[in-house]
Amino acid sequence: MEAASVPHAAGHGGAEHHGPPPANRSSVVPAPLLGMLLFIISEIMVFGAFFTAYFFIRIAQGDPWPAPGTKLPVIPTLFNTLILVSSSFTLHWAEHGIKKGNRFALKAGIATTFLLGATFLFIQINEYANIGFAPHDAAQQTIFYGLTGLHGAHVFIGLTLLAIVTIRSFRGHYSPEEHRGVEVPGIYWHFVDVMWIIVYTTVYVI
Amino acid sequence: MLNPLRSEEEAFRLLLYVLACFAVVIGIALVVRLLL
Repeated sequence: MEAASVPHAAGHGGAEHHGPPPANRSSVVPAPLLGMLLFIISEIMVFGAFFTAYFFIRIAQGDPWPAPGTKLPVIPTLFNTLILVSSSFTLHWAEHGIKKGNRFALKAGIATTFLLGATFLFIQINEYANIGFAPHDAAQQTIFYGLTGLHGAHVFIGLTLLAIVTIRSFRGHYSPEEHRGVEVPGIYWHFVDVMWIIVYTTVYVI
Repeated sequence: MLNPLRSEEEAFRLLLYVLACFAVVIGIALVVRLLL
């Protein structure tokens, strides 16, 4: 988001401005940065609520994890994690490419990112179908489906954004000067990846 | 200071830091699981 590094006066039309900003603008934080900041904070609180439930049953209640008689697919999901993490690298390649005016890198990077993200979601749905327990079986299962499902919903939203970026990339919409349409979904996608690393570690590994 | 909301590049750098930290945690946890 280039606007973050632009002095805030430019956010009010670029003209020399005296006195307080308009009522719907912050005088301290540029609007695009403020919007993304509030969005990410709200997202952290949503995930925080689910993690609170997770730690409550594991630490306050002392319940075993996973529930007795169930097993989580740690190693297959580790490979799925690597697929999702690699999608962040291809996205970074795409963003780096358009900054340098490399259209092939943009198109190949974004399309690959979309395919890797879709593969991750497909494998996760397949995992749900074969894992052998349902959300209503026990509190542990509810938390498992809640946390991984919440993250899956974010991946779906990210894929929707990436589909739009992919189509626009192939139509030649971005340039080295104007590529915010790639940058903002990119920040969101990296956030989704960071959240998955935390979810995977707490739910599957620890 | 690193601000992952400022640009995709900084968000990617944060991801690398998180990845490095959690790779250590995951590695230790998996080794402990194998040993116990």
